[in-house]
Amino acid sequence: MAFEPKNEQKELKYEELRIYTDEELNNYTEEELKNFKFKHDVPDLDDLEKGPWPSFVSDAKQEALHRHKLADDRLMTAKDSVDDLMGALQLSFDDGETHWKHGGIVGVFGYGGGVIGRYSDVPEKFPGVTHFHTMRVNQTSSKFYDTDFLRSLADLWEYRGSGILNMHGSTGDIVFLGTTTDQLEPIFYDLTHELGVDLGGSGSNLRTPSCCVGKARCEYACIDTQDLCYEMTQFYQDELHRPMFPYKFKFKFDGCPNGCVASIARSDMSFIGTWRDDIRIDQEAVKAYIAGESAPNAGAHGGRDWGKFDIQKEVIDLCPTNCMCYEDGELKIDNSECTRCMHCINVMPKALRPGKDTGVTILCGAKAPILEGAQMATMIVPFMKAEAPYDNIKELIEKVWDWWMEEGKNRERLGELIQRFSLPRFLDIMELPPAPQMVKEPRSNPYIFWKEEDVKGGWNRDINDYRSRHKR
Amino acid sequence: MEDFKKAILEHAEGSKKTKFYFKDLEKAVKKTYPDAKSRMIKKAATELVNEGTLIYYSTGSSTMYGLKGRGITEDH
Repeated sequence: MAFEPKNEQKELKYEELRIYTDEELNNYTEEELKNFKFKHDVPDLDDLEKGPWPSFVSDAKQEALHRHKLADDRLMTAKDSVDDLMGALQLSFDDGETHWKHGGIVGVFGYGGGVIGRYSDVPEKFPGVTHFHTMRVNQTSSKFYDTDFLRSLADLWEYRGSGILNMHGSTGDIVFLGTTTDQLEPIFYDLTHELGVDLGGSGSNLRTPSCCVGKARCEYACIDTQDLCYEMTQFYQDELHRPMFPYKFKFKFDGCPNGCVASIARSDMSFIGTWRDDIRIDQEAVKAYIAGESAPNAGAHGGRDWGKFDIQKEVIDLCPTNCMCYEDGELKIDNSECTRCMHCINVMPKALRPGKDTGVTILCGAKAPILEGAQMATMIVPFMKAEAPYDNIKELIEKVWDWWMEEGKNRERLGELIQRFSLPRFLDIMELPPAPQMVKEPRSNPYIFWKEEDVKGGWNRDINDYRSRHKR
Repeated sequence: MEDFKKAILEHAEGSKKTKFYFKDLEKAVKKTYPDAKSRMIKKAATELVNEGTLIYYSTGSSTMYGLKGRGITEDH
């Protein structure tokens, strides 16, 4: 299916937007880089370069050298900000404590998020990072960019910031690391007017929604994650930019239960593509796997000889609910017992595919440890259709938000509020019936309680009447 | 909307604190207007920010509102 943009698309041309010439971008030699030293002594950081993995210190050296060799009027922020950043990091290693102050009133006009103030508490030692604010840029769905966009973005950030950025932060945004207050509005203007991107969420806002590659690249995708993510980002712009929540709130969209954006662990409201009919089986393709004609796991782990493919050992015996068997040359699945673990589909993608009646499973309450510990999301809605304009999903989201805004304490995540109130009360408030799928395993999730009105005769009984029928 | 803005400002100006969670502003408005909807209170707070009376104060993980000119008003 060809990509059809919803809005008019502006084609970005790096040649029109570029700030630096090719000579400026390639302004040092390998020899110069080899001999380069930061202006501060950074022995612990030098150590980091000795390990087996590429180090950010090596990247920082390239950037520091590059900035040193640019003309003074080709940078709007301190030329040696990268040197000072590394110096500040070394000082933190030495002291065993941070030298950053966080937060403040920096931001762009009208936005309550997207910029996080950061200031050095030793500015006299490291003047290049006296102000070193972070900006979050809302990534595209699935993080698909072209090089014109990326090069334009890098030029902008070199010119108006430190040149150091994360691709990407854990919420998904492109993170610009380090600029001064006076550069915030010009950067925001260029991002929105020239590059067609917006700031992401921070603070007590809806955080930038993120999704897996979805139907663009993945045959497992049960929902159009990119469309859903884009729609939610646009529809909830006010929540993304203007804070009203008790604390942060994250959405993430996984196209299938493989969970490539790990929404189940990383978002307050997790959407995972699923199906409610049967796994599609191509029996001939199953036989091809057994005969060794198709590589299991689509050829992954093919770096060594694992022996002949054994469907019993590698698929059927590993099914967590034992709902599969291979009999009389046919693979059979008891779909009513399937928990959507995806293992069989992952091992034999040519033979098995998710069903056709697709939608989302919705889970709530994941968070990282601050209070209590880290928490995985709990399944709230086993299945919901996910088709544009997603009104059913929006209705649930807003119901959750209304309750959380009403009852949540300051800085209380949704998962903590559910824990404080209990899951049965949360389900009651959401008007969702307890479902067997909410039980992780028999007798381990005792949150489905009978209510008095559900029980014949309520909580009162005539003990004598009972004893007339049941001897002690 | 104007009533909500007035209630927010009265609360902010009458408080010893210089920074407020949204919930503080919400409670202040709901004291006078119990049926006020959160979204409308947020819109009123947003208008006050756009007018330059209130400012956002962000720690990065949570956001507060402040009265312009009180407490931390410039880069620290």
